Amino acid sequence: MKKLKVYSCCGHDTVVKRVYCPSCGANEISEREVEDKGSIYSFTKIHVPPSEFAHLAPYYVALVQLDGTSAKVTARMTEDIAIGDQVELDKVEDGAYLYKSV
Amino acid sequence: MTTNTYIHGIGMTKFGTHEDRTLKDLLLDASRQALEDAGRPKVDAVFVGNFLAGSMSNQEILGAIVANDLGLGFVPTAKVEGACASGGIALRQAVLAVMSGEHDTVLVAGVEKMKHAKTAEVTQAINAAMDTDSSEKSAGLTFPGFFGVLANRYFHETGASKKHLAMVALKNRENAMNNPLAQFSKATSLEEIMNARMITEPLGLFDCSPMTDGAAALVISRKPSGIHIKASSLVSGPTQMQDASDLLSIPAIGESGRRAYEKAGLGPEDIDVVEIHDCFSMTEMIAIEELGFFPRLEGWKAVEKGLTKANGEKPVNTSGGLLSRGHPIGATGVAQIYQLVRQLRGDAANQVEGARIALAQNLGGTGSYSAVHILERV
Ligand SMILES: [Zn+2]
Repeated sequence: MKKLKVYSCCGHDTVVKRVYCPSCGANEISEREVEDKGSIYSFTKIHVPPSEFAHLAPYYVALVQLDGTSAKVTARMTEDIAIGDQVELDKVEDGAYLYKSV
Repeated sequence: MTTNTYIHGIGMTKFGTHEDRTLKDLLLDASRQALEDAGRPKVDAVFVGNFLAGSMSNQEILGAIVANDLGLGFVPTAKVEGACASGGIALRQAVLAVMSGEHDTVLVAGVEKMKHAKTAEVTQAINAAMDTDSSEKSAGLTFPGFFGVLANRYFHETGASKKHLAMVALKNRENAMNNPLAQFSKATSLEEIMNARMITEPLGLFDCSPMTDGAAALVISRKPSGIHIKASSLVSGPTQMQDASDLLSIPAIGESGRRAYEKAGLGPEDIDVVEIHDCFSMTEMIAIEELGFFPRLEGWKAVEKGLTKANGEKPVNTSGGLLSRGHPIGATGVAQIYQLVRQLRGDAANQVEGARIALAQNLGGTGSYSAVHILERV
């Protein structure tokens, strides 16, 4: 499975790839792979989904603080979770990062 | 710099369910009211704020429809889209058009019709205001979902709880009960709000703005009137939750506020009455902090003390806000100005005695756009 990539410039790490760095304007933003592990920074349990996700509800969407970087990633989970819980990437499905508790 | 534009007329339909009225009917109704309130001036251009008419009513060319069906002649028109900030951005485009010298008098309108569709379909259509080419959208995040994630972290870092969000919702409902144009006039209680069914935890039904039909309109001109638009600002911000450097900040709100204060030569302490984009109760909490009315992470304390009530030191959403006045997306930014003009004229629902300076903040997406306008009674 492909590892998650983090893009960095001017001390800012993010999983979102930009054309130029908004701070210094550089167009060569460094990228590196990060570990699959992280912790729950925050989350919500979605009871009212858009129609395309209706079959999954209720489901959790978590903002995961990735280990070894200041970047976070938005993930879907099915288990009950709380802020601070340790989690790891389970799989990437239809463009979504699915995490599970460790 | 400040603007050389003034508000001459305002119009607004009742917000709520208009089963038997079309999008066009609502749009023309609010526009006609604004033109008559302004004394039927010659209109040089039209800007219409709208978000969903294309996807949900299969209707575009709203600018041309307004000009044609009102009989304004062959004037320049445009529809402006900025998700829930469409109305505020339409006003800003009108202000800039006057400031540039191109036009003297401009009609600004905002409209949305949503109630004819199912909740899942509307939620799906509104998701167009996310970056849909992102892993975050694929994960199933929604608008209320974003503010649910934000709320849980806010609770974690402060002493706030779901009760404080309920206090925001209750205040706005109490304000709406005095506003005949508001969608909701039924009394509620903290208990009912806190026990309502969950939408995106911890946000329940009363923490989320409703689906609404409605329209609002304004006439602005370089010709002086009693209401001066002192400042108009607009900025873009992060389009994805996972890209925010601080989840508990919505930088577009803060930056649009700073720019507006600078243009007006004013600060948050000068503002007498405020309309804020409370698409969710949590959003109002963050916005009162971002706009400098209360310190960061302490908005909940102000809410607990009642400081944002209509009779408090910083009255927020005397109209009832998006939560209870209603949120017909493209009309919201224009309806905020409608309420503030009524405040400055002295005949508003929940009138703030002697209000002279007013601020409106209109948000698009989860912080993708924020427009701020500061008005002064002159
Ligand atoms: Zn840089």
